[in-house]
Amino acid sequence: MSANAKRRRLTWKMVSTEAKLLLIGIPVFLWTMIPIYHMVLFSISPRNAATSGRLWPKEPTLGNFAFVFQQKHFYLDHFWAQLGNSLLIAISVGALTLAVSTAAAFAISRLKVRGGRTVMNLALFTYFIPAAFLAVPMYKTMGNYGLLNSQWSLILAMVTIASPYCIWVLKQASDKLPWELDEAARMDGATAMQLFRLVYLPLMVPSLVAVGTYALLLAWNEYLYAFLLLSKDSSVTLAVALGNFLAADDSPWELLMTTGLIYALPPAAIYYTFKRYMVSGLTAGAVKS
Amino acid sequence: MATVSFQNIEKSFGKTKIIHGISFDIAEGEFVVLVGPSGCGKSTLLRMLAGLEPITGGEIAIDNKVINDLDSKDRDIAMVFQSYALYPHMTVRDNMAFSLKLRKADSGLTNSRVTNAARILNLDPLLDRFPRELSGGQRQRVAMGRAIVRDPKVFLFDEPLSNLDAKLRVAMRAEIKALHQRLKTTTVYVTHDQIEAMTMADRIVVMHDGIVEQIGTPLELFDRPGNLFVAQFIGSPSMNVLKGTLRRVDGREWVEAEGRQWPTLIHTQTLDGQAVHYGVRPTDITLSSSGTGIAAKVIVVEPTGAETELLLEVGGAQLVVVMHGRTSVRPDDTVHLEIAVDKTHVFDRASEQRLD
Repeated sequence: MSANAKRRRLTWKMVSTEAKLLLIGIPVFLWTMIPIYHMVLFSISPRNAATSGRLWPKEPTLGNFAFVFQQKHFYLDHFWAQLGNSLLIAISVGALTLAVSTAAAFAISRLKVRGGRTVMNLALFTYFIPAAFLAVPMYKTMGNYGLLNSQWSLILAMVTIASPYCIWVLKQASDKLPWELDEAARMDGATAMQLFRLVYLPLMVPSLVAVGTYALLLAWNEYLYAFLLLSKDSSVTLAVALGNFLAADDSPWELLMTTGLIYALPPAAIYYTFKRYMVSGLTAGAVKS
Repeated sequence: MATVSFQNIEKSFGKTKIIHGISFDIAEGEFVVLVGPSGCGKSTLLRMLAGLEPITGGEIAIDNKVINDLDSKDRDIAMVFQSYALYPHMTVRDNMAFSLKLRKADSGLTNSRVTNAARILNLDPLLDRFPRELSGGQRQRVAMGRAIVRDPKVFLFDEPLSNLDAKLRVAMRAEIKALHQRLKTTTVYVTHDQIEAMTMADRIVVMHDGIVEQIGTPLELFDRPGNLFVAQFIGSPSMNVLKGTLRRVDGREWVEAEGRQWPTLIHTQTLDGQAVHYGVRPTDITLSSSGTGIAAKVIVVEPTGAETELLLEVGGAQLVVVMHGRTSVRPDDTVHLEIAVDKTHVFDRASEQRLD
């Protein structure tokens, strides 16, 4: 009897825990899924049925996708070029940010370059000013360099915005690498560059993947700077092109959503591809802690 | 093989001076152990020899060539770290071959060196494993293998056994000693464990607060400690030391401490009435069966099997005595002590230097 009661109390406790989790989980799930559901719903609805308010279209179609891929609408004239631009810019920003911030973090954390920490703190200080406030000065600066309308202007601007955070994250991560590894490598005859290439980089892979993905997605999702710095239809990114859909009174919502859905797929793919690299524990076995 | 020479080595971190002019020479093929309590500067001295720490003053020479301004990699030395410092992303083989790879040695030579080192250290079956797949002792052996492969002029060991459990430590101690006997490479070994120092060293350098207290073979340090610090640091359990006054009357000499007369040999450097420390090792005291000698009260009896350790009280002081075999002595018994008079040590109270 008493054992029975105990089991029942336990069950009640488990149920209440479960209930609390559900109470948090369900809203979060809805919060995330409803916009995506809407996007999917619009993208498989024919034009006139898009805003019908039904939970599932009467005649679902993939026609919108064909429409987008074949660039059959005024707003979509440069779809493939713009998708290409987005990719090119995002990948360039990811790669450049990685190069800059890895080198900086290595110099600050491992080579202990004099004044390195000050530089990092100054760089982080830029985050006190919202990026939006810096848009106009950045526009002027790029104008001074004659880079307006060149995709380089957006790449450089995004690298500038992404780098301080990336340097900081990488510096924190590399501070955790055992210092004896550097000393062992130096005694083994490694130069600073060899130390960087043969010991530092392989051990930083998880952080590099995380930081690279961050910079890449930041550039992929960027709207404001892309809108300001680029203006030719054939050179803007898809994010800007999506914004342009709203310029007209009767926007083709189903095409906007279809394009948006397509635009959202690469980040999801990137995230799931690289997730498994973002594991810790790569340095296990280096030193006894 | 090579000689190493330290000349007036000084080291400061900022305004804090931690090594105050150390000089000594290490002969070819010698196994020298730097030993001392934490913070005595032994690791710093080793790191200066390794080139990991700049030298504030003085000169370090390897084979009579001053190496102060040479990079670590150009000093032809290999170091084994306390924490092993294995490259976690490389296999055992790659860890060991790393230095040769950096030197662009040809692969035949690299292979034969790695195979040879692996054979010496019984690492053959582990060559393709990663450090994380190895036990502590195996990692330590890989770290040694990495040093052997280099075939350097000097091996440096920085507390290499501190991270191992007690049993493994004893085994690795013997392994390192055997390795040295086989390779005969000049070795500098840092430890805070005086047993390690005693068992492994050809010569021991005892350091304390940034100076060298004494240099000598293990048994020299044990038998004739040059000062009170060395006397108490070397030996386990450590030497019994009593504060007393030296008396010399009618060609007889003894130390008066705790109201008793403690026997000593005749000294040439002492004066009647001189304040001294009187030292005698726990193994140099025996219990007298005749009821003569200094009376002491037994406080604790600690049998360890082959030996029995007694904690005794004489006046206000406590003494440790190590007896061979077993004893029927019980706490609160009174025993009488016989002291091996030729194995007593007397140190001046003020200077703490040995008096002969």
